[in-house]
Amino acid sequence: MTSSVEPISLSQRQASNDTGIDREALARLLVEIARNVDPDNHALYEGVPAADHRLERLRQLLVGGEISELARVTHLLDEPEQLAAAVGNVLPEATARASHAQLGEALAPAVERAAQRSIQKNPNTLTDILYPVFLPAIRKSIGEKIDQTFQSLNESLRHIFTWHGLKWRFEAWRTGTSFSAVVLKHSLVYRVEHVFLISRASGLLIAHVTSQDATSEDPQLISSMLSAIQDFVKDSFKEKENSGLDTIRFGELRLWSEVGQFATLVAVIRGNPPEELHEVIRDVLLRIHQESSRALERFDGDSSQLPGVETQLQTCVELQHMDSKEGFPWLVVTAVLLVLIVAGGWFFLSWQSAHRWQTYLSRLAAQPGIVVSDQKIRGGDFYVAGLRDPLAADPRSLLPGTDVDPARVHSNWQFYQSFEPQFVLKRLSASLAPPDSVRLSVVDGRIVAEGEATTTWINRARAAAQQLSAGGPVFDISRVRDVSAEDRWQAYVSRLQTQPGIIVADQNVRDGQFYITGLRDPLAADPQSLLAETQVDPARVHASWQFYQSLEPQFVLKRLTASLTPPDSVRLSVANDRIVAAGEATTAWINRARAAAQQLSAGGPVFDISGVRDVSPEERWQAYVSRLETQPGIIVAQQNVRDGQFYITGLRDPLAVDPQSLLSGTQVDPARVHASWQFYQSLEPAFVLKRLTASLYPMDKVRLSIVDGRIVAEGEAPDTWIDRARAAARQLSEGGPEFDISKVRDVSPDARAAEHWQYYVSRLEAQPGIIVAQQSARGGQFYISGLRDPLAADPQALLSGTQVDPARVHSQWQFYQSLDPKFVVKRLTASLSPPKSVRLSIVQGRIVVVGEAPAGWISRAQAAADQLSADGVVLDVSQLSELNLAELNHLREAIQTTDIFFDSGRVVPGPEQTPALDRLADQLKEFAENARKAGVTARFMLTGHSDTTGRETANASISAARAETVRALLNKRGVAPELLLVRGAGTFEPAVPENENSRTGNSTNRRVSVTVNLE
Amino acid sequence: MLQKKICMLGGFAVGKTSLVRRFVQSIFSENYLTTVGVKIDKKSVAFPDKTVDLILWDLAGEDDIGSFRVSYVRGATGLVLVVDGTRPATLAVALTLRERCEAEFGAMPFILLFNKSDLTDRWAIPEGEIDELKQRGWQIYLTSALSGEHVDDAFRQLASMVAK
Ligand SMILES: Nc1nc2c(ncn2[C@@H]2O[C@H](COP(=O)(O)OP(=O)(O)O)[C@@H](O)[C@H]2O)c(=O)[nH]1
Ligand SMILES: [Mg+2]
Repeated sequence: MTSSVEPISLSQRQASNDTGIDREALARLLVEIARNVDPDNHALYEGVPAADHRLERLRQLLVGGEISELARVTHLLDEPEQLAAAVGNVLPEATARASHAQLGEALAPAVERAAQRSIQKNPNTLTDILYPVFLPAIRKSIGEKIDQTFQSLNESLRHIFTWHGLKWRFEAWRTGTSFSAVVLKHSLVYRVEHVFLISRASGLLIAHVTSQDATSEDPQLISSMLSAIQDFVKDSFKEKENSGLDTIRFGELRLWSEVGQFATLVAVIRGNPPEELHEVIRDVLLRIHQESSRALERFDGDSSQLPGVETQLQTCVELQHMDSKEGFPWLVVTAVLLVLIVAGGWFFLSWQSAHRWQTYLSRLAAQPGIVVSDQKIRGGDFYVAGLRDPLAADPRSLLPGTDVDPARVHSNWQFYQSFEPQFVLKRLSASLAPPDSVRLSVVDGRIVAEGEATTTWINRARAAAQQLSAGGPVFDISRVRDVSAEDRWQAYVSRLQTQPGIIVADQNVRDGQFYITGLRDPLAADPQSLLAETQVDPARVHASWQFYQSLEPQFVLKRLTASLTPPDSVRLSVANDRIVAAGEATTAWINRARAAAQQLSAGGPVFDISGVRDVSPEERWQAYVSRLETQPGIIVAQQNVRDGQFYITGLRDPLAVDPQSLLSGTQVDPARVHASWQFYQSLEPAFVLKRLTASLYPMDKVRLSIVDGRIVAEGEAPDTWIDRARAAARQLSEGGPEFDISKVRDVSPDARAAEHWQYYVSRLEAQPGIIVAQQSARGGQFYISGLRDPLAADPQALLSGTQVDPARVHSQWQFYQSLDPKFVVKRLTASLSPPKSVRLSIVQGRIVVVGEAPAGWISRAQAAADQLSADGVVLDVSQLSELNLAELNHLREAIQTTDIFFDSGRVVPGPEQTPALDRLADQLKEFAENARKAGVTARFMLTGHSDTTGRETANASISAARAETVRALLNKRGVAPELLLVRGAGTFEPAVPENENSRTGNSTNRRVSVTVNLE
Repeated sequence: MLQKKICMLGGFAVGKTSLVRRFVQSIFSENYLTTVGVKIDKKSVAFPDKTVDLILWDLAGEDDIGSFRVSYVRGATGLVLVVDGTRPATLAVALTLRERCEAEFGAMPFILLFNKSDLTDRWAIPEGEIDELKQRGWQIYLTSALSGEHVDDAFRQLASMVAK
């Protein structure tokens, strides 16, 4: 079974001809509407009977001879070159002889299109050509108009002396209108049969009235249909909002529509209504709007809300005039002409302004850094909205030259940052402020920096490159040379020179290498470590330092500090170039210090230790103990001193300070301390708070604090956290401080929803072909907008499994075509429908087509490649090779040498032909299948032949009938009928020459032959 | 006279036109559906206290959601979303179309029809998924334009929803 897609796609294609409208179908529809408005018309428009193939057969039999003749001519017609030559020979002559009316009709569309194109290209050309024509034409037209006026005046004069004439003269005088207008009015014949009032928003019928004897089918449906057609025409012709189909005409019937703010009034008129009727209808519509504007605006299908409307409409229906005897209505024609001219002018102007607007839009679209997201024309004003990079051209500045009136343009631009390389380059230039020695440029979509710069600049550039790597173009700074090395070297050297204990003897720079020699005190700063801070490349530094002992007091102090390791209680300092020790120390230490002072006395600075008081170990122990006792979280239970050994026991909280670490610096000898600590959990609020902080992690939005001995938690947390906190509070309630969590707000549902939403967004962002422009969560609703390729995953479908409630998601996706090679491949696969023997793949961002294909397909692929290259996408078709049809050729040979034979005068082959038919059918099917795989369509021409006995016309029809029979027989054997073409060759293509005198004819020529065509 | 404009929405060949045909008798022939892009039919649904005329707009189905003319939905009071129960992808199409309509004209009542329920052997929508949708409070019907199953129920339901 074939799929149900076929018929639809066919008619859709039909509809998409160059005007975008299947005019014929539209016409049929309008006829149908007319029929429904006026059922009497049924008989007038009968559908065309469907084609009957039996008729076709009959035709074959009756006019077979002509068909064969046709076949010959068709053959000639099939050769485009021959045909062109033949037609070219007769074209001038043919044109001269053609019926002028028909020729004009046939040429008109082509000439119109050519003229249109010429005007689009350069209006001046045509203006110049037409100028000499215009002038006399205008002159002539004015003259004619004057003539017409006289003529209508004559008409009017005829009425002057009739009774009517006098009556009308009086009426003209009374109403203050011109006499001719009155004449005109009374000379027209019309009747308003139906009036529909249709809601503009929904197309629903608000009210409908008919004249007494008029009939119509369902007015509700007609009303909706009319509004749909109006919409359709408006969309198709890109019409302005308020205009639509003003008038439609079917023979006697006219539909006039008048568009109001909320409702459209459609009058169905029989006959020739005067122009003033428009006025009348417009008035009625206006009055209805004035009286019931609110009800009209809110109309929701309940017509009982608008009771008075029908009476108003009734006034339209009563309008009619049946009096007619007068002559040709010249004035009507003039008026209509004038209206047409005005309407045409208006139409041209609005078309022109829309065209200019389109020019402006396409200019905008061509601008880098400007994305137009929405545009429309309403009430003669132009509205455009979109995104623009602050660095892109000002959309306003593009207006001059387009002839669009700037005052009528309303723009709404949002700023965004474009990632187009030239914009990124501009932004980088502004933010990085590259030095003159650096040049930025765009190369192959990458931004390349070249030149020389300092390290700091390079580092900033590197950071920028890092940032850009997320979605932006590549920023290549590998070609920027770092030039600040020498400056830094000098800074390093001068820093060394100011260092105490370091004497720089010599330094220089040679070939990018740095050399330095000098003296250094071992205690002075290490030149090497200073180097590390300067970013001078250590590998290029060649230093040679000699050690010496500086006798500067601060170096001596350092050396003393290192060798004497004074306890915390002793402080060494330099005062007046003397080194002074002050504080408390053990006797042992004081003795060592004294020895050092002795040594220094030979040439060094004075070391004064007179300010150090001698303290005993017991005193120091006591100091240590009392320090422990003031520590929170430490409870000393017992301590004593026995035989120079110190004993201590007690409790300590794991979070309290380590007693051992407090020991250092007290000068108590740790080897003589015997401590025994038991761990316990302190319930002091500070400790409890620490423990809670550690155990209730994470809580970025909760703050714990101690208030009046209670621990108070404040902030926001998910319910899981609150549960855990509650459990902790319960535990603490037995003896610990109070843990108050009442001030923590539960944020879980929102938080979880937001989390899910973020997950969904990141999922979208990871999708190729989807660009998320903006997303936000507000008041429990989620908003997202962006671009999507029609071939990309459906954002809606991605929702499933994210636990985001679709009802709360408001998405706005604009379609765009992704140039991501993956998508281009998808599109190409759809549009080119490559044969099976061809494979499309993506190699390093290029699309490569490999395989074999028929020549026609290769050239289509080539055309696609040319087009794509304009978008910067590489489609490499160089590896395609033309399909080798050798195998097919073999089969083709077999098929084309097959003949099906017939008995004299018979159009059905005898039973002995059955095997040949079976084999042929198999071969055809195999060939068609193989051809299809190779991407080409095979068609088989069945040519019927006859021998020369009998009349020529009889032979021609027999030959065609034979071909038809074979087609039917092959069809019965499973060969698709659309692959089989049929022609009758009569006696013109005999397999063997006929003997003129033979009475039976040559049986070899009574046959059907097969030829294979590939498309 | 109480009328309501209703739009049939759904992917290509899900059965919109067939459902309307099953529910209603038309006065216009269908061959212009692809031309003007819309076919309009009417059905009066009678309730004890009132009668509602549903004006059904059947938009020509498009697989490519991009070419869908949202403007035809202007003024509609209700939507009929149609899904082909043998093609799960058409669910996403129907939901997206609804989303686009809502974005343009705000929320409106709708019914969701999983059509072609007669094709049980090719049915491809798991029951769980339908239940999940029902839990959102949506009115969902398994219909068949072929057998007529649930078609009248569904449209009646919608009529009562829009008549409120
Ligand atoms: N088996 C079956 N086929 C259906 C059903 N509804 C529609 N179809 C078929 O599906 C195809 C498309 O139907 P149509 O109404 O044109 O779909 P539309 O594009 O949504 O208007 C047609 O061949 C119908 O016969 C149904 O309920 N059951
Ligand atoms: Mg349809």
